[in-house]
Amino acid sequence: MAAPSSRYERILYPVDWLEERSGLVGGVKYFLFRKVPGDTNWFQTLGSATLTAFLIQAVTGVILAMYYKPDPQNAYPSIVHITNDLWAGWLVRGMHRWGASVFIILMFLHMGRVFLFGAYKYPRELNWIIGVLLLALGLAEGFTGYLLPWDQTSYWATTVGININGSAPFLGPFLAQFLQGGTFINADTLSRFYAIHMLLLPGAIFALIGLHLYLVIRLGVTSPPWSKHPAGSGPVTPPAVPPRTGLTEPTPRGGSVRG
Amino acid sequence: MAEDRLAQRERVFQQYKRDVKERGKPFYPYAMFHDTLMSFVVAVVIIGLAVIWKWTTPGHHTGFNLFGTTDHPDQAGWLGKLYDEPADPGTISFVPRPDWYFYFLFYLLRIFKWPDSVILGTVGIPTIALVLLIALPFIDLRSERRPLHRPVAMVAGILAILSMGILTYKGATAQESLPTENLTRVPGWAQKEGFTANKQAVAGAKLFAVVGCLNCHTYLGTGNHNLGAPDLSAEGAKRKGVAFQIAHLKCPSCVTKGSPMPSFANEGAENLNALAAFVEASQGPK
Repeated sequence: MAAPSSRYERILYPVDWLEERSGLVGGVKYFLFRKVPGDTNWFQTLGSATLTAFLIQAVTGVILAMYYKPDPQNAYPSIVHITNDLWAGWLVRGMHRWGASVFIILMFLHMGRVFLFGAYKYPRELNWIIGVLLLALGLAEGFTGYLLPWDQTSYWATTVGININGSAPFLGPFLAQFLQGGTFINADTLSRFYAIHMLLLPGAIFALIGLHLYLVIRLGVTSPPWSKHPAGSGPVTPPAVPPRTGLTEPTPRGGSVRG
Repeated sequence: MAEDRLAQRERVFQQYKRDVKERGKPFYPYAMFHDTLMSFVVAVVIIGLAVIWKWTTPGHHTGFNLFGTTDHPDQAGWLGKLYDEPADPGTISFVPRPDWYFYFLFYLLRIFKWPDSVILGTVGIPTIALVLLIALPFIDLRSERRPLHRPVAMVAGILAILSMGILTYKGATAQESLPTENLTRVPGWAQKEGFTANKQAVAGAKLFAVVGCLNCHTYLGTGNHNLGAPDLSAEGAKRKGVAFQIAHLKCPSCVTKGSPMPSFANEGAENLNALAAFVEASQGPK
């Protein structure tokens, strides 16, 4: 790359530097300016809304992790401390607590939209499967996070939940043992749930969301199935426009296709 | 014929790509505007829920207070308590209730009765549902996407939503048994079952009424079928013996394989003896 000569080139030099070494700028440009069907509608914002809810969980979760103490003696007091003493601690914890519900509702709504649009069909089968895995991992996040306040509700609901895992044939007992770090709920159970909740599952979810988005960009989004001219139905013949004459528009307009 | 379908769906996808290129709109700013607005709504809803959760919690200043504490954070506001009592493995007056999005699973456990079919509710149906979901694109192979031309898929989808909704609603409205109410029934039980003279069994019955057994079990019409646990009115008639009952209370799944019942080992030897005596004395109403 030649040294920047004009003022314009000097201002954009860092961008060019980055592009030359990573191709990232081109990637972002491709992402932003790629074409989507002209008839996409509001239902198709549910996926990105789910992503937003997950990112809110990630950010509030990191803040909570700075103050939460994952051992049976300190877990409950640290939750009380976050809720009552820290500046806006209640807000961060409340957003995490209720964001979980919103995240799960949005996952189900997004799945319902994909089902209604038949968007799981060829060639998007793999992305549907990744979505189902994300739903399962999201529910697992809900299950592991529920124990962390270490109050009566969470403790006993999780006890029964683990026992139910343990009742499954073949893998059940191993899963229960893995979750608890022993045969019963004990001091290790809490730190284990914490590690699963804030490292293992979010890592897997981030990776799968990456794949999910890659496939969305690669395969494109579908037109609503009830659209008059859904993408895939071929070119639209412009409607015949009778020649008109007038003062403002002296020449006949060609029928423009809705973008 | 199969070849035709494969060739056809490939052709349609190639056409899709051409159509999007020719008459699509760029993601930015059109679709992105909608996405951004929707994300903003999501953030506002989440913040709103957190604020309602905190604001409505009782206290002498129930209003917005960014800096201070609320006086009774253990009391429930509109959206429930900020937190419950601290976890205590020794006090089993618990309500094993999951977060609301697990209510449908929670209620499945009541439908499938212990012990024969409970595994269907705990493991069978969720596993089948998950496998069906993953397999969906391979079951539904037609390329037809218009809802009105996919009657089977639409009916199946509506049934799935309805059953999830009903199970969630039933799980949410399921009544818990109150320890204080249960306690008043103990003399009646002793009379009907004929163990009034058995001091240990009566003591056990009182414990049974308050430590949470009736959140999952039923006894002479009292209690709930939470988690599909069995009725215990005539459990003693099985003559399993006090030693078995104690071992079972200490570690239910060790004695009855697959039992989701929690351990009551923390109750201590005396209480366990009383509970076991009570269960053994329960020979069914006389």
